[in-house]
Amino acid sequence: MTGPEKLLDPTGLDDRAADDTLAPRPPGLRGLTVGLLDNTKPNAVPLLREIHAELRGRAGAGTSILYTKDYFGMPAADDLLKRIAGECDVVVTAVGDCGSCSAATVADGILLERLGTPAVSVVSDSFLVSGGAMAKVQGFPGYAFAAARHPVASLDEKQIRERARAVMPEVLRILGVDS
Amino acid sequence: MSSPAEEGAVLDRAFEKFRELMASDGYALSWTLTGGNRVVVEIVAGADACADCLVPLPVMEAIMSDALEPTPYTLDRVVLPGGT
Repeated sequence: MTGPEKLLDPTGLDDRAADDTLAPRPPGLRGLTVGLLDNTKPNAVPLLREIHAELRGRAGAGTSILYTKDYFGMPAADDLLKRIAGECDVVVTAVGDCGSCSAATVADGILLERLGTPAVSVVSDSFLVSGGAMAKVQGFPGYAFAAARHPVASLDEKQIRERARAVMPEVLRILGVDS
Repeated sequence: MSSPAEEGAVLDRAFEKFRELMASDGYALSWTLTGGNRVVVEIVAGADACADCLVPLPVMEAIMSDALEPTPYTLDRVVLPGGT
């Protein structure tokens, strides 16, 4: 017989919840492995791939590893976050383009920072409020995340590339790297 | 002392952009004033509401508390669809 089921907390809160310190930033991205955390929302993977291409082109970032979380409305599972933190030097997670997924995307970024890995959460600008509120609930008010112009889900390949380019100054700033 | 109409205007202004946020996922926001300047916010699902898109209650409470910060009112509670 199995024990009682553990209830999933949609905020991802745990004992680390009061830590509002960013992970140490690398001096540069040259050759670093970039984790791409897909939250399963439409166009999340193309956007992440384009951001990685920009990181390579602008800052010499190394290869990427793509991860997919189980469900967009919840922070990624602890074991997945630990795996990402163990395998990657920096992480980009996307895309928050609804209430719950924008909050969860910001939570993923904060949880990765607490695991010691610099992370950028990309949220559409219609849902910045949800992301900001999640940061506050996580005990990390003012946590910086990148805003992509809404919408993202309905864009074609060229438009996604444009969104990625537009968000790069924020991505690089959050990672502590000058373009 | 504010009239009910003035109170309504203050609260409608405070929640304006959050109504838009909720509407993006197919939800409507309404409020009622209880005693002692406390506000109950109710989120109601529209016909096309995205059930998976609703932010969790603690996040919703943080959003609504922030919305009320510049007003004389404070959040009493948030009622989500299903009566949470």
